[in-house]
Amino acid sequence: MLLHLLNRSPAGGRLIQDVLRAMGPEDRLLLIESGVYGAAPPQSACFETLKGRCYALQEDLASRGLAERHADWIIPVDMAGFVALTAETQRTVSWY
Amino acid sequence: MASEQGKLRYALVVLGGPYSQAATHSALRFGEALITQGHRLDTVFFYHDGVYNASRLAAPPQDEPHLVDAWVRLANDQGTELLVCVAAALRRGLLDEREAQRHGKPAFSVEPPFVLAGIGQLVEAGITHDRLVTFAP
Amino acid sequence: MSDDTADMPLLVILRHAPHDGSWLREGLDVALVAAAFGRAVTLLFMGDGVEALRPGQKAGPLGQKGTHPTLDMLAMYDIEDLRVDATSLAERGLSIAELPWPVRPVTAEALPAVIASASPVFNF
Repeated sequence: MLLHLLNRSPAGGRLIQDVLRAMGPEDRLLLIESGVYGAAPPQSACFETLKGRCYALQEDLASRGLAERHADWIIPVDMAGFVALTAETQRTVSWY
Repeated sequence: MASEQGKLRYALVVLGGPYSQAATHSALRFGEALITQGHRLDTVFFYHDGVYNASRLAAPPQDEPHLVDAWVRLANDQGTELLVCVAAALRRGLLDEREAQRHGKPAFSVEPPFVLAGIGQLVEAGITHDRLVTFAP
Repeated sequence: MSDDTADMPLLVILRHAPHDGSWLREGLDVALVAAAFGRAVTLLFMGDGVEALRPGQKAGPLGQKGTHPTLDMLAMYDIEDLRVDATSLAERGLSIAELPWPVRPVTAEALPAVIASASPVFNF
């Protein structure tokens, strides 16, 4: 099981499709930095197939005014949670 | 290289320059957090524009975080190795004393704890550490 | 939860186009060094990285070498496992037949397994 990190928003670019295609059925996705813009509707629709395994970094949501705006099925995690995700999965792959 | 029970040895790869991109901030925050969780941050490898993190000449304004100093503190407090890809560094003007002399440059911009290193050490880090996490622009 | 990573190939995913700054070159350098160290290496061209395989590339106008000469050297470094993401190829109007280097296409169905079965994974 892998953890994928995404730091860009879906708006503009095929990167999102590439990441989704690369992810295995149990892999998890963590949105960080500008990637958290993808946590809010309507952009979050891109990640609906990842319900239950899609996360967003809390402090990045907060600094961008998205703390209350993310889709309710996207799981916010703090930095300790980010570390835990990297520890619980076998490897982490970064997409940018 | 067996880790203590539950304690993982991490290597971070930083591909973004300080301030220009978010990569450095995220890497520092992640590094702090993994140490707090009881893991080890053994190695940080700077590649691509990440090598700019090694500049001893960085002079950010007083009211902004001093990112280069933050890496130095990490190395001093935790023994984290700060490896800077030599090929990427030289092209971008990040030279230690030896390279500066070799290339006839008037000054050097990299000093310990930052150490110029070959890409082989990035490959090595990926193979020998329990986890490798990359922060990119 | 641990897998035996010692026998897994090292994977470098290349997603930047040629003549787009240093990304593609730096990714290839990691692959070359890993191979020189005796590690089995898989190269996966994906996204804009498939443009690295387009025929007819030249050096840049300022004298930038480009990456096509490096691709010619891969076999000499024992890097023979070259894969290309089929979706990315199709999106960019390229076909396997016209590529000057011997690459194997990876379908969307097969892609996750290629990534999951390598360690470590570097994404450039």
